[in-house]
Amino acid sequence: MSAPHQYIALVTSLPHLGELFTRKEVPISEFRLRQRLSMLEADHRKFLRELVEITAWAGVAKYDQDLEVVRRAKQVIDDLKEYPDLQHLVGTRMETRTLIAALRRRRDGQEAAGDIALWGYGRWCAQVKANWSDPAFGLGHFMPWIAEAHRLMQAGDHIAMERLTLTQVFRQLDHYGALHEFDFEAVAIYVLRWVIVERWSRYDETDARNRLEALVAAALEGSNATEAQVQTDFLSTTSPPLEGASS
Amino acid sequence: MNEFVVALGWFGLYAPVALGAIGSAWGCALGGSAAIGAMLDSDGGYGRFIGVSLMPSSQVIYGIVIMFSLQQSSVDAANGAALFGIGVLSGFTMLVTGIRQGEVLASAIHASKAKPEIFGISLAPAAVLEGFSVFALVFALVLAGSIPS
Repeated sequence: MSAPHQYIALVTSLPHLGELFTRKEVPISEFRLRQRLSMLEADHRKFLRELVEITAWAGVAKYDQDLEVVRRAKQVIDDLKEYPDLQHLVGTRMETRTLIAALRRRRDGQEAAGDIALWGYGRWCAQVKANWSDPAFGLGHFMPWIAEAHRLMQAGDHIAMERLTLTQVFRQLDHYGALHEFDFEAVAIYVLRWVIVERWSRYDETDARNRLEALVAAALEGSNATEAQVQTDFLSTTSPPLEGASS
Repeated sequence: MNEFVVALGWFGLYAPVALGAIGSAWGCALGGSAAIGAMLDSDGGYGRFIGVSLMPSSQVIYGIVIMFSLQQSSVDAANGAALFGIGVLSGFTMLVTGIRQGEVLASAIHASKAKPEIFGISLAPAAVLEGFSVFALVFALVLAGSIPS
């Protein structure tokens, strides 16, 4: 699919996703989305698969080593040479992952960055390594969210941490999405947004179920557990993060 | 030389229709594609999507009107250059406004799906482009009256 009017038909057939965290369910099911995306050419479907694989948590979770993820990202960026904005998008996403992976490693007690080339990607590797002890790795003046992420990670507030991370990723998508309206990049950015919204809606539902089960269990056992305690347990669940390298 | 000017005159005479038709076809294709896509994602209001997507069809009508106003009893060296200038430039205006109108209509349809209440106001840019086509039409008619016959 290459003619502009075909992209116009595809983009306008996709429902508006709205703001992040405002919807309890995705406005279009995976089945319907796949059906609409069948309008794309085979090459573009392949690029889209690669893009989703490298940017979504579920896609990179299959790799055992961070280095494999970094290599795969470089490969995807090479494949997307005709779409510079998508290349930048993948690069920016990998840099965000690197920062979160660094925060996680530091929280887990790692004293120094070590050989960051083995698990990091992008422009900030040198700064992260040089400013390992700084809460925001010396990048807080133009990425204030890193210090906030550090605080949330130290506090063990996983849900707030993921909200913050997803907000950053959504901002990146908004930035590149504003540059494209009816083309392949616009479709790809829509799908990346959809993946996040869909994942968050499922994540929210799972948490609600866990919380309900915890409340029911507490009531049946007649324990004195207060709701506050249940809430604390809920927040400290170790569900897999939506973002971040597999470190 | 005279034959060349006469050829240009005939070229200019038909240009508003031909270029206007291309602009209308292109614009309607863009707007129509958006309307078709929007219908896939909507449960109603199909008529308004299709209706606005046909807006660029006015350019070819203006082109036909210009062609009739330029028509002379004969095309010769005296009027060939005037026919060429007025016809080609007004036709080019119809071509560009038709295509651009299709683009802004596609954007309007797309935006109004997310926010239905802006449907009316989102058509304002397309209406402004229509106004530019009308300017080109009116002044082509005015100038057509002063072409030496």
